[in-house]
Order: sequence, then C-alpha cells, then structure tokens
Amino acid sequence: MLQRNRLALSAAVALAAAATMFGGAARAQDYPTKPITLIVPWPAGGSTDISMRAIADAASKHLGQPIAVDNKGGGGGTVGPATMAAAAKPDGYTISQIPITVFRLPLMQDVSWNPDKDFSYIIHLTGYTFGITTNAESQFKTWKDVVDFAKANPGKVTYATPGTGTSLHVGMEQIAAMAGIKLTQVPFKGGAETNAAVLGNHTMLQADSTGWRPLVDAGKLRLLMVWTDKRSPNFPDAPTLKESGYPMVYDSPFGIAGPKGMDPKIVAKLHDAFKKAIEDPAVIATLAKYDMVPNYKNTEDYKKFVVEVTNSERKVIEGIGLGKKPN
Amino acid sequence: MDVLVNVMHGFGVALQPVNILYCFIGVFIGTLVGVLPGIGPISAMSLLLPVTLSGTPESGIIMMAGIYYGSMYGGSTTSILVNIPGEAASVVTCIDGHQMAKQGRAGPALGISALGSFIAGTFALVMLMLVAPSLASVAIAFGPAEYASLMVLGLVVLTFLTQGSMAKALLMACIGIVLGLIGLDSITAQPRLTFGRIELIDGIGLVPVVMGLFGLGEVLLNTEQVIKRDIINAKITQLLPNKEDWKASAGPIGRGTILGFFLGILPGGGAVVASFASYALEKRLSKHPERFGHGAIEGVAGPEAANNAAAGGAFIPLMTLGIPPNVVMALLLGAFVIHGLQPGPLLITQNPGLFWGIVASMYIGNLMLLVLNLPLIGMWVKLLKLPYNVLFPLIILFTIIGVYCSSNNVFDVYVMIGFGVIGYFMRKFGYEPAPLVLAFVLGPLLENNLRKSLILSQGNLMTFIERPISAACLLLAVVLLIAPLLPALRRKREMVALDEGA
Amino acid sequence: MTDQTRPPFRLNNSELWTGVLGIALGVFVIRSGLKLKLGTINDPGSGFMLFYIGLLMCAFAVTIILASVTEGGPTFGSRWEGASWGKPGAIIVILSAYAFALEPLGFLISTIPLMLLLLRVIDPVRWTLAIPLAVLAPVGVWWVLKRGLLIQLPSGMFEIG
Repeated sequence: MLQRNRLALSAAVALAAAATMFGGAARAQDYPTKPITLIVPWPAGGSTDISMRAIADAASKHLGQPIAVDNKGGGGGTVGPATMAAAAKPDGYTISQIPITVFRLPLMQDVSWNPDKDFSYIIHLTGYTFGITTNAESQFKTWKDVVDFAKANPGKVTYATPGTGTSLHVGMEQIAAMAGIKLTQVPFKGGAETNAAVLGNHTMLQADSTGWRPLVDAGKLRLLMVWTDKRSPNFPDAPTLKESGYPMVYDSPFGIAGPKGMDPKIVAKLHDAFKKAIEDPAVIATLAKYDMVPNYKNTEDYKKFVVEVTNSERKVIEGIGLGKKPN
Repeated sequence: MDVLVNVMHGFGVALQPVNILYCFIGVFIGTLVGVLPGIGPISAMSLLLPVTLSGTPESGIIMMAGIYYGSMYGGSTTSILVNIPGEAASVVTCIDGHQMAKQGRAGPALGISALGSFIAGTFALVMLMLVAPSLASVAIAFGPAEYASLMVLGLVVLTFLTQGSMAKALLMACIGIVLGLIGLDSITAQPRLTFGRIELIDGIGLVPVVMGLFGLGEVLLNTEQVIKRDIINAKITQLLPNKEDWKASAGPIGRGTILGFFLGILPGGGAVVASFASYALEKRLSKHPERFGHGAIEGVAGPEAANNAAAGGAFIPLMTLGIPPNVVMALLLGAFVIHGLQPGPLLITQNPGLFWGIVASMYIGNLMLLVLNLPLIGMWVKLLKLPYNVLFPLIILFTIIGVYCSSNNVFDVYVMIGFGVIGYFMRKFGYEPAPLVLAFVLGPLLENNLRKSLILSQGNLMTFIERPISAACLLLAVVLLIAPLLPALRRKREMVALDEGA
Repeated sequence: MTDQTRPPFRLNNSELWTGVLGIALGVFVIRSGLKLKLGTINDPGSGFMLFYIGLLMCAFAVTIILASVTEGGPTFGSRWEGASWGKPGAIIVILSAYAFALEPLGFLISTIPLMLLLLRVIDPVRWTLAIPLAVLAPVGVWWVLKRGLLIQLPSGMFEIG
C-alpha cells in the first residue's frame, strides 16, 4: 500500500513538474505568437541548409519570433514537404522549403501529394548555379567542340551528373535535344563524385552545381558554360545557356510553402518577412558563397511558376523516358 | 626541408592560445557525441557551424576537425560496452570488443582502442604532411570500374568474417545487398522495393539497421537469461592493456594503420572496407584464428587503428581536391566555404598557415584526446557493474534516441525495432549479422559502380581486366578465394571454420 | 545451440525452415528483379542485380536445406532450451506498442511509460529506483538534446516537449 501511494505521489510530482516545464500552448490573436518550424528537407550543413538558415535567421527578426530549422531529409527533398502536407496544421507555424523535386517526382512516379493542390505557396527565394565542365586537358575548348564531336560520334560523349532525374540530367537532355545530339549520362551520387569522375577522365563532361569551383579556379577543370540567367560574377568568361543559343535558364529554383488552406493574412506576413530577408546584405553575402542569387517571386507569381515548371518538365521527362508508367 | 619549415609554421598557428582552446572544445564535444551512438559528429558539427563564423577561419575549422576525429575515439565505446555500433566501421569492433567486455576485459578493449587510435591517428597525420599532395591522384584514379572491383574484393573479405556456416553467412550477405538496394535507383530513378512508402525512397538508413541488429538484438537475447542478473562478468582485473595485450596488438595496429590510411583516401566506403579488411587480415595471419569472435584483442586493435587512420586519410581528397569523401567531410567543406575558403588544389599554396595549422592542431588534439579518454575508461567499466535489469532499459532508450537523431525521422525508429526483432531471431537460429551489415554497405556501391562502368565501357566486360587497378583488385580477390583451397593452407581455413554453431 | 546430437530428419528442424524462408525471400527478390527489368549488358536495368542476388539466395538456401536433411540440426525447441522466451517476447510487444504511440503522443509522454514498463515488467526493479529512472532519464536526455544540441524530439499532438 505504501508503495502504491508512493507511486501515485511520484507520478503526480512528475506530472506537475512537466506541466510547469512546458507551459500551455497559448492561443492568441496575432500571428506569430510562438516559434515557427521551417522544414528543410536536406541534411544539415549542406548548401541549401546553410542558406536557408541564413534566410530564416533574417526573417525571424522581422517576424519577432524565432524560426527553428527542422532538417527532414529524404526522397530527394520531398519527404519533408510531403510530411508537412499530410500532417501539419495550416496555422503558419509549420512551413517548408520546396525544392523542385516536389514538382518533378509526381511526374515520374506515384506520390502522396499533389503539387498544385496540397501547398499554400508563400514566396520564391533563390536558385542554384549549374555549369558544365570538362577536364583541362580535354580536347573540348568550348561547348561547340562538344556538339561537333557528339554529332560525329553519337552517344560517345559521357557526362557525369549527381543522379538521374536531377535538374542536371533533365537540363542536359533538354540541351542535347535542342542541339540535336545524343549524349550518355553517367549518374553519380552527389557532387563530390562527379568532380572525381571528370578529374580522373572517367567521364568527358560534368554537369553539376558549383562544387567544381575550386577546381576551375585552379585550372584543373574548364568551365564550358553556366545555366544561369546572366553570367556569373565569379566566372565572367563562361557563357550562359542563352548566349550559347539555348533559350533557357536552369537553376533548380526553390521557395517556401505551408500546408494547403493557410490564411492569406498569415501568408502575407510570412511573405513580407522572407522578402526582407533575401534583401538583407548579410543574406545575399551568404548566398553568394554558394553562387546563389536571390530570385524573388511573390505569392501569385510563384503559383503561376509552379504550373509553368510542371508543364515544361513534363515534356522533357516524358521525352527522356522517365515519365510515370501507366499501370 | 620545406616540410619542416611548414610544420613549424603550422605549430605556430596551432599553439596560439585561442586555437588551443577551440581545439579542446572540439575534441571535447567530439568525445561526448562520439559516445552516443547515432548522434555522431554530423549533428554536432552542423549545429556549431554558425558558431564558428565569429572567430577566424583557422579556429573554426580546427574546432570542426576536432569534433570529427574526437568522435572517432568515442565511437568504439558503446560497441565494446553494450554491443551498439554507431556506424558501419564500428560493427567490426563489436564482434570481439563486446566479447572481451563479457569476459571482464572491457578495460583492455577500451584501452587498446584508444591507444591504437592515437597511434594510427598520429601516423596518418605524418603521412598527411609528407604525401598529401602526391596522393591526391589516387583518389581520382578510382573510376567506376576500379570501385566495382574493390567492392568485389571487399565482399570476398566477408568469407573471413564468418564463424559458423558459410552458406548461412552468404545468405545473410545476399539479404544485406537486397536491403541496401531498397530505395530510388540512382541510375534509372526507379523506386525499388519501396512498397509505396515515401520514407523508403532514400533507402533504409544504416544506423537503424546496425543499432537494431546489434544493440537491440543483443538486449533481447540477454534478457532471456537475466536470471543470472549480470550478463557481464563482474570480475574486472585490469583497466589497461597489459604487456601480452600489447605484444598481440602491435602488429595489428601497424597493419591496420597502413591499410586504413590508404583506403581512407578513397571517397565512399573506404573506411568501412578498411576496418573489415583489417579484421579479416588479422584473422588470416593469426596462429589461432579460432579465438576471433571470442574476445581476441587483435580483432579490436586492428580495425580500430584502421578506422582512425582512415579518418586521417579522408582529409587528403578534401584538402587537395575539394572532394569530400564522406558526409562529415562534406560538412567540413561547408565550414571552409562559410569562411569564404575553397578547399582544392590551391588551398595549400594560397593558405599555408591554414592548412599546416589545421594539421598541427590535429597532433595536439590527438594528445588531448588520449589524456581525456584514458581516465574515462575506468568510468565506463564501472557502468557495466549496473545490474542488467537497470542497464537494458537505458540501452533501449539510447538506441531509440540515437536512431531518431541520426535522421529526425520516427520511421527510422520503427526500422530499428523491426531489425532488433530480426536480429534476435537471426542469432537464435545461428545467422550472423556482421556479413549482412558489410554487404548492406558494399552491395549498393558494387551495383552502382558495376552498372556505371558497363555504361561507360558500352557493355565491354574486359574493362575490369584492362584497367590495372581494377585487375589487381580482382586478382587479389581470386587469390583470397582460392588460397584456402590450396592444400598447404587448407588446415588453417578449417580451423577458422571449426567453431561452427558458436 | 548444441549440434552434437544428430537426430534423424524431423520436420521441426529449425535449419530446414529457415532455409525454406530463405528460398521464399529469394523467389520474391527474383520476381522483384524481373519486374524492375534486367536491362542489357551495356545498360543494366534496375532489376539486374536483384535478379542475380535472388538466384544466389535460393542457391544458398538450398544448401542450408540439404545440410539440414543430411546432417539434421537443432529443433525449434532446443533453440530456446533453458531460455525464458517470454521476456524478449514481452519486450517486443512493448516496443511495438511504443512504436505506434511515439508519433502521436510525442517522445516524453510515450517514453516515460515505456521505461517504466521495461523496468518493472521484465525483471522488476524496485519502484523507488524505477520511477525516478523512468522519469529522469528521458527528461534528461530530452533536455540535453533540446537545449544543448537543438535537436527536437517528436512532440506529438499535445505538443509537449
């Protein structure tokens, strides 16, 4: 009996302690009244994580509440947004970074979310810098050399990408289709491996984000072109896609969104805070370290952009045989 | 004697009080997170990344590097004490390390792994200073064909890991490969064996698998017999390795260090292959291979040395080419970039103070780690005196937390519990988990590189023989497979397999 | 696992049935491999490796079965001889329940009862030790992770933690 009582007492004490420790989740009128969780669907410490942390840090100053970054990696950056769409309340306290794979994966296979319906898009933020490099000792001095060689030897030109179905793969195939050439993709896992592949002459070309920068600076790799809108200030000699005769920009853009059905007023508040964040010089400087440039789109434009991207990607993905199989 | 001048310059940087302080903070945090399996250096480093922004690049990176190699020291602690490996390389340490602990020899096991780590770490640093630039080419000489052959060699090592039935071990290895292949195929972007679960698209995590099979599986097995109350022999005679232990360990440490350093240079899987290969090598060379799996100190000393030397070797591709060979190195790359530095061919010439300062700080850090870790051994050993009915709920708690922290996903906790149950039944029926784990890590690498090399060679299988490195790996694999069949060596192989049904 | 006795072929031979399980898994893997397409030699498909590994699995499983028929093997009963199988069984049941509770209830609300059950049900620890340990260990770890490492353990629908 004594023991029983002691149990009850201990339980009560523990409960009371717990209650004082956590406090109640107070409901209030003015958003935000408690910390906001930002899902970053990538491992901590990567370029996306660090840039999102910098942006979130700046935005939290304008919101007056801290933003906690929750790294929920997996599924090529889709597990985080998908979990949010399925489980989180649209109260503005859970938002997620939306990488382009959220739109692309549904084109390739059955998924649990619908990019058109399941998200409240908030703001478009920035994108990556992609480029094509070759070994410095290679016979290819310009992109035109590659096209000429590929025309004479279809399928002989190999290029390393960080994976099938990544922006790099889709982009390269789009370029090849426009140029009327056939290239062979060799999918690696992540940027580190593509650098080694092209350095060791295992593949002829590399298509990747700016992980190649130190090797280009050291003269070990030659940058043939970049896929950004304008020439990159860090590599003024490399022509853009547009200059090379391909009217495209390929930068795997990303923004943030919440679950569907968010109050437009809350969306507007978040939009304003994040807009100010990407105008912050400190944030711009952090982004520049990863060769990222702010690419602002407001809520409405972002929604339109999602539709456009989905449509243009559908064509390419079906063209290279990655489309969803009807079964 | 450029190197000497540079080294002096490096110590000049590393011995600045502020850098010593950062180095100490780094190795201290590293020791802490290293002990907790699953949490590991990744979360600690990514969290402290912004903190380093305030100081100089040197001190920030010195601290980051400290967390990394500091965690390598602590990594073996839970493997030895409670059979929970935090990463693939520690799986080997479990095999004999935990057996030693059960025999009351946790102290010498922990001691030899700390001292072996120190020796291997120091040697790796000397090599890093002397040959870093010239070894950069090794990392890029390995293309898909070379990796595929290296993985074949790694899987052949498997046959030396088994204690019981070879057919059972090979069946486990096949299951390991299949488990490793779950997820999005990186070559065709097709989901494989995901059963429509989005969490499986990136595959099953290594941490939940090893912590389930080893940690939880062991707990389930032990609770069957808790009537005896203390699973671990309470008689602890010594805390540090004695003279005999040293005599047995000297060779394994030396060989493990060299093996680990060179394999550590290779991006992807190098360190894991190194630790398993070191174990197999020692078992092969030993006069008493039947002791392996029953608490042979060589089976702890060799792999632990290999593991730590590999951590040193891993700096080479990062510092000289800007190619991070593993996730932790990728984080370190992040630390460089955040300070506006780009590791690559120009780093050493453009920032000699930084490069040599970091290397010198690692010497100092390794010393600090030794001083920090040796007194801890006594404390860890005391932990084993806890009655098992108090200890095992805590073990379960820490496996759950470690698994959750490795990915922030509840799904991984389910995976861990599932593999704990599988691990229990595997043990009951005499199937060993170690071959499964090795194949789980190497299988996907083999598949991926095999397919990439066939794409590159346009279906020409000769590519594996025409390339010298690849041919050498395959030749070695064949020799390893055939050697036991040769009459002179036959008896030894039988000795290895003798303890069937252990 | 004593293999000294070699009984005649019996149906409750555990080796036999683990081998059969191996074949079943192997056949499943082969089928998955075929479904994912084998591809060609110059562009092997997603199912290429799975197919061949599945074949190997069947081969090894057949070896195990053959050995069990010719040499016999321990029975299911003998595997658990002298072991109290109820305890690991109870842990498995408790952990399965925990797995279901973790996400909706959150780390603290589900882990404290888990610890209490493990401490009291399997091999009872006295209450005065079990309760403080069951409360303090999860709360302590939770606090260190949250404050020290900024890792948020699942907080569940009541958002406690």
